[in-house]
Amino acid sequence: MNKLTKAQIDAALKLLKMPADSKLVTHLNACVHCGLCGTSCMYYTTLKEPRYMPARKVEMVASLYRRYCTLTGKIFPHLVHARELDEQMAEEMIDVLFGGCTMCGRCVKHCSIGVDIAYIVRVGRQMLAAMGLVPATLQATVDAALNTGNNMGIPTEEFVDTIQWMEEDMQSEEGFEKATIPLDKEGCHVLYTLNPREPKFFPLSISAMAKVFYAAKESWTLSSTMYDVTNYGLFNGNNEQAGVIAKHLHDEVLKLKAETLILGECGHGSRATRWEGPNYLGQAYEFEVRTVVELINDYIRSGRIKLNPALNAEKVTLHDPCNLVRNGGLLQELRFAVRQSCADFVEMNPCGNDNYCCGGGGGQLAMSEYNERRLKIGEIKANQIRATGAKVVVTPCHNCVDQLTQLSHHYKLNVKIKTIAEIVADALVMEK
Amino acid sequence: MDWYRIVALCAACYCVLVMGLHFLRLIRLGKPKDLSRKSGSVAKGVAYSNTAAMMPNQKESAYMHLPTYAAGIVFHLGIFLSLLLFILLMIPPVEAWLFSLEWLCALLAACLCVSTVCGFVLFFKRIIKKEMRELSHLDDFVSNLSTTMFQLFTLLAMCYLGGSRCVSTAYYLVCAWLFFYLPVGKLRHLLYYFAARYHLGFFYGWRNVWPPQKKENHE
Repeated sequence: MNKLTKAQIDAALKLLKMPADSKLVTHLNACVHCGLCGTSCMYYTTLKEPRYMPARKVEMVASLYRRYCTLTGKIFPHLVHARELDEQMAEEMIDVLFGGCTMCGRCVKHCSIGVDIAYIVRVGRQMLAAMGLVPATLQATVDAALNTGNNMGIPTEEFVDTIQWMEEDMQSEEGFEKATIPLDKEGCHVLYTLNPREPKFFPLSISAMAKVFYAAKESWTLSSTMYDVTNYGLFNGNNEQAGVIAKHLHDEVLKLKAETLILGECGHGSRATRWEGPNYLGQAYEFEVRTVVELINDYIRSGRIKLNPALNAEKVTLHDPCNLVRNGGLLQELRFAVRQSCADFVEMNPCGNDNYCCGGGGGQLAMSEYNERRLKIGEIKANQIRATGAKVVVTPCHNCVDQLTQLSHHYKLNVKIKTIAEIVADALVMEK
Repeated sequence: MDWYRIVALCAACYCVLVMGLHFLRLIRLGKPKDLSRKSGSVAKGVAYSNTAAMMPNQKESAYMHLPTYAAGIVFHLGIFLSLLLFILLMIPPVEAWLFSLEWLCALLAACLCVSTVCGFVLFFKRIIKKEMRELSHLDDFVSNLSTTMFQLFTLLAMCYLGGSRCVSTAYYLVCAWLFFYLPVGKLRHLLYYFAARYHLGFFYGWRNVWPPQKKENHE
């Protein structure tokens, strides 16, 4: 690593010296190094290396805070373990805060004090971003979204072709002859968004949701340009870039005069748009923002769609995406949709707010240099799935779908991975 | 007033002052300004964060580490008891009344004996276990030892303070050291612990994660 310049260090430390509120100062002063958080972290549990202990991750940022922002740290750095921000420290931070944490927040709930460890990890990532030290692989994903409007850099022409192909394919199915996938239609109730992995690798999940919209007689549209629900600015720690990406969707809703922005099945994208987006933008949304799972549940509860759980007869389990459940409050919403759609549902253990991350969160799927680690920490999830005996794993997050698919292959689980839209579409009962 | 009592009193005042400044800074910085549309209740989240969320069955840090968790709870109860006794002993009429009740002093000493042992257990665990040793730095050891000695000397005070000048001097000097050191290192979590619970309750309450949602009737 090149020697850090004063400008880089100052930019990073500014984040610690000028906190926006009392949250940062609180969590940087609260850890007591009890070490009891270790067992709640999938990295520490599977890799068994002390550097992955959540308290050590907090300590990285806190030691810098003490060194530069506290009197004791300035006078007696050895007493309180106050560290200099130098090249060695930056390298350790990159390895552990980017490559050794999915920011799933499981350790937060189980921390004996209540330190928001995931939040501190993101502050550490913000510091690295301020120094221009985001791993190139992750930054490339963000750059693609900034430059093309979607994180995979899919050209509009290719996207439109895929949508038209999916529409024709769907219309060949019985009961869906008149179903459409509208593009850039103004004045709709719903502007629906996608994870770019859908048009690229999982186009059937688009037609699955189109079927649900058709069955519910919804007024909806996709944008042909700004449809990407993901926001890797949440993971690279650059709030400015996260704000630009959030603005893509914000402006598209206004442009197409849609009433509601519906977030496709993407955990971090939903979080980054629903919860963090207004803060990145510095303004509240002028329209309603909801996840697609909540919308589907509205259809079920109001009778706009009818489901026959017997059409999904195989044993199904649910993987709770961290950003939708532990960090998004959709614990029961996910269960409602899944239970209404399948005949044989079994929970993982643990599940819900205690569920383990799949290992693909935090931008891990974008950082290929940590692939080996990512698959190793997924062992916990693989064992959880195997223990349920389920043949189908449902999860409303395309990053989770990706990671779970790789885990199924790597650990020979032999399970199908589906989104909620897919399992709901499979259970749809169409009126003749 | 004896000089060592004055020293302890001054240290306590300094401690309250500095911690008060920390508290004022938190107030000045204010709570998070979240522009997203709230889904749950911050008040309920904060209440849950400080009550049910702290129950041992809710935390792996508790139910997967019961001996350490229990030792930590007893240790902290001992600290708060010692702090209470320090305040009482600084008031001469209360001090005289307290030492007139031998059975109460014996009971308090017994409680402090248990909490002191817990303090030493946690201290030696930090030294002996490799992952704890690697996680710890000087401040952790000084903080742990200071609070354990505080309890040990409160225990001794309960046994001997009425008649021993030597114990009195040592007790008040240990108290003075603790109060002097408290705002310096991690013992500051005396304040930041409560702030952390607030922020956690705010975060999860806003997003309707806490209190946990009741199961919907799916039938």
